[in-house]
Amino acid sequence: MPTLSEFIRARSQALQTSERLPLLAMTHVIYGYPTVEASLAWMRRLLEQGIELLEVQFPFSDPVADGPTIVAACHRAVENQPQMQLCLQQLGQLQRDFPQSRILLMGYLNPFYRYGLTRLVQDAAAQGIAGLIIPDLPMERAGQFRRDCTDHGVEPIWLVTPATPAERLASIARQATGMLYCVSRSGVTGQKDGAQQALADYLSTIRQHTDAPLAVGFGIRRRVQVEALVGQADIAIVGSALLEAYNAGGQEAGLALLASLGII
Amino acid sequence: MMSDNGYYGQYGGSYIPEILYTSQQQVQQAFDEARNDPAFIQALEQQWQQYSGRPTPLTFCANLTEHFGGAQIYLKREDLNHSGAHKMNNVIGQGLLVKRMGKKRVIAETGAGQHGIATALVAARLGLECTIYMGAKDVARQYPNVFWMRQLGATVIPVTTGSQTLRDALDEALRDWSGSYADSHYLIGTSCGCAPFPEMVSFFQSVIGREVRQQSQAQFGALPDRLYACVGGGSNACGLFLPFMDEAQVEKVGVEAGGKGMALGEHSIRLSHDLGQPGIAQGFASIFLQDNQGQLQETHSIAAGLDYVGVSPIIAHLAEQGQLRMTYASDQDVVDACTLLLRKEGIIPALESSHALAAAFREAGTLSPQQRIVINLSGRGDKDIFNVARAVQDAEFPQFLRSYLREYPDNLQLASDAGQGRAV
Ligand SMILES: Cc1ncc(COP(=O)(O)O)c(C=O)c1O
Repeated sequence: MPTLSEFIRARSQALQTSERLPLLAMTHVIYGYPTVEASLAWMRRLLEQGIELLEVQFPFSDPVADGPTIVAACHRAVENQPQMQLCLQQLGQLQRDFPQSRILLMGYLNPFYRYGLTRLVQDAAAQGIAGLIIPDLPMERAGQFRRDCTDHGVEPIWLVTPATPAERLASIARQATGMLYCVSRSGVTGQKDGAQQALADYLSTIRQHTDAPLAVGFGIRRRVQVEALVGQADIAIVGSALLEAYNAGGQEAGLALLASLGII
Repeated sequence: MMSDNGYYGQYGGSYIPEILYTSQQQVQQAFDEARNDPAFIQALEQQWQQYSGRPTPLTFCANLTEHFGGAQIYLKREDLNHSGAHKMNNVIGQGLLVKRMGKKRVIAETGAGQHGIATALVAARLGLECTIYMGAKDVARQYPNVFWMRQLGATVIPVTTGSQTLRDALDEALRDWSGSYADSHYLIGTSCGCAPFPEMVSFFQSVIGREVRQQSQAQFGALPDRLYACVGGGSNACGLFLPFMDEAQVEKVGVEAGGKGMALGEHSIRLSHDLGQPGIAQGFASIFLQDNQGQLQETHSIAAGLDYVGVSPIIAHLAEQGQLRMTYASDQDVVDACTLLLRKEGIIPALESSHALAAAFREAGTLSPQQRIVINLSGRGDKDIFNVARAVQDAEFPQFLRSYLREYPDNLQLASDAGQGRAV
């Protein structure tokens, strides 16, 4: 199987000659929201639409890096008592059903830690999950996790932000492999607009330090924001806006948003 | 106690979203410099003395001692701090650090509102903008504190997500900081959170234990045999215990909130009885009350200040090492202990502090009259008037509330124009 970055490059290549904006879509879904069944149905629907990258958030009671929409959904999802082992199995089934896409598992450290980080990496690998995103696990505390990921062929996906100091940004970017998650502005997920020029400078700085595909997220809700990423990044992450659309009008509204963004 | 690079054994550390890395480093650096700067320490001691009234006394309790017929009982009177609790020691320290860092705004979480008020007081005095996050349930339960925070000029934001209590307020404060780190400092109220907060808060609180050492020598020519402190986040316990860590013969007893039962959700017992499990959340590794999927759980205590799901990594480590003994007291024991102190010594303790009293009262009679115990009276109980009135089933309190309400102007718009003067 191609690596995550090979997969992303091949799909980016193919998109150059398509009708769509030449950016991969990475859509975010919270496992267990509003119910486990409904979240799986929504993931399946997105994959049927050809979404290249599905980011699944395992809910946590205390999601400190998320904004109000995702926080509220996580709390609702936690009430449904999501089980990590079952989640991994169900994601594995989706991965097998949709081999043309890749699934990434995102979550806060504690539920993963309870499950066992090594066990998590092993089981994720066994289920074909391509990458793991843990926003509250700093790289300098992740030695064993990174070794486990290398051993089992799962990509650890790191985040950088506009507040990351230059040296640290360079270091994280250099170590990125599968993709680098570039937070597009300060703060938590889901805030409104930012300055485009600053974004361009930020991404070109990151680009100097890595060949890994760049995914840009936090706050994408309009087509112009996606257009501004063309040529500068590889992946547009749609999180809060997709959840808001889903909350307002279910799967159809979610898909309509993605269509309006030009990424399906 | 110095950490090993932010760690205490396996606990502590800094597990925060990448966005906060720079601010966390900045706090670390500012604290490292400040703690070694004699001018900072001098300013700190001056504010402790002139603003908060330190040193606080060590009070011998003759009646209680006689009542139990065992150890000589002393109280460390943190209730006599400005604002009525030890919280002030930390807030003064971090407030001075904020000035040193040149920031203009502070953010804080609060459960009962004690730390919120302390923060709002210091923010007013230092001319800092102040935003307090407080669970919506706590806002409803502790409205008088909210009232004072707002009168002091703070913005109080009720947090309506999750369990709507302290844990959610802490999450929300971290989220605010993620967007406002450039001009804001997160002024955490207890010895929890990412490094360097546990170490820094303990550093500021250790004035408690240092004074107890001196006062013990001065008043009875020896160190105490046993120390008691209640453990919410752990800051008053760290403050009392840490200056005694070199003396193993001084036994340290931490008292958690036993609440109304041992079922999950009825208590805040994290360490005694191994009810909590190792976890990493809210920026640090420690022991948390959680389910088998790692979801943090709801907690309960009659004392809002002890109603927290995690505990200081310093306390977790010392307890694991056997350097502290952890126990707990139930809501009922706590009300009884509170009542006893009122009657015997004429001191009104906070319900948080009454946990330490309850555990000490249980054990005092088993010690010899030559032994001395020091109980940290972390706060005064005026704030608990509603809870205590209900717990002792005071017959006239509801009547008082009803007549107060009858006379309260029901045109609130008018009231706020006339008296309150502030839009919130
Ligand atoms: C009077 C008093 N004591 C104790 C506590 C518990 O905090 P800590 O364990 O950090 O001392 C509080 C917290 O609000 C308090 O107000």
